[in-house]
Amino acid sequence: MTEVLSSAIIDLNVSANNKDEVFSRLTTLLNRDGRLNDPDAYLQNVKDREALTTTGIGFGIAIPHGKTDAVNSVSVAIAKLQQPIDWDAMDGNPVDMVFQLVVPAASQGDAHLKLLAALSRQLIHADFRNEIKQATSTDEVIALIGNTINQTLEVSS
Amino acid sequence: MKIIAVTACPSGVAHTYMAAESLKVAAEESKVCESCFVETQGQIGIEDALSPTQIQAADVVILTNDIGIKNEERFKGKPVLRVHAGDLINKSPIIIEKLAQKLA
Repeated sequence: MTEVLSSAIIDLNVSANNKDEVFSRLTTLLNRDGRLNDPDAYLQNVKDREALTTTGIGFGIAIPHGKTDAVNSVSVAIAKLQQPIDWDAMDGNPVDMVFQLVVPAASQGDAHLKLLAALSRQLIHADFRNEIKQATSTDEVIALIGNTINQTLEVSS
Repeated sequence: MKIIAVTACPSGVAHTYMAAESLKVAAEESKVCESCFVETQGQIGIEDALSPTQIQAADVVILTNDIGIKNEERFKGKPVLRVHAGDLINKSPIIIEKLAQKLA
């Protein structure tokens, strides 16, 4: 889990007025943590994906995702927003939690992708969403996701 | 009502699995749904592949229509509902309810 999640790429106090400011913030964190080899290309990829269809999946959560060679390793960057912002979400509600899934172009069948799949499944469950939203430290967020995903992987395998 | 479904999405990273999970949760909570099996066709590959027995027993097939579904010929002769993965994520309970009304 440490490879996919780290405190360095989680910010629970993001001040942003729109999607692009969230993308910029998370790109900066990912780049500082050595997870990108071309931050500009990465940022453009995430924006291009977002332009196709909204990643605001409802319940106040967005899951933007880029899949590009500009990424070094599968990662999940997380932003909790000070103020909810409009994300053209499927249910029309503003977004206050962003889980940005960061995927290298060539990572088919990668075990890390199973973690992203498991996290995606967990986000459907209201209990899990509420626990994550109430978490006050990055360690707490990592523990919550780590525990839940490990359980899910054990059950499903 | 016995439901089977296959979910997929363009990047195969997130919506595929959210749609599958959302449908399963809604099916478990529904009074009209006897069983619900969901195959995912994501970047990981095909998981929870539907068995011939599951397919044969199904009353209805739900397929996401965001990208093509592999091996669709398996469902020949079955009623098929095509929906966006996003609709399954947000509206699975309503979709199940409407299907039950239609098939009744």
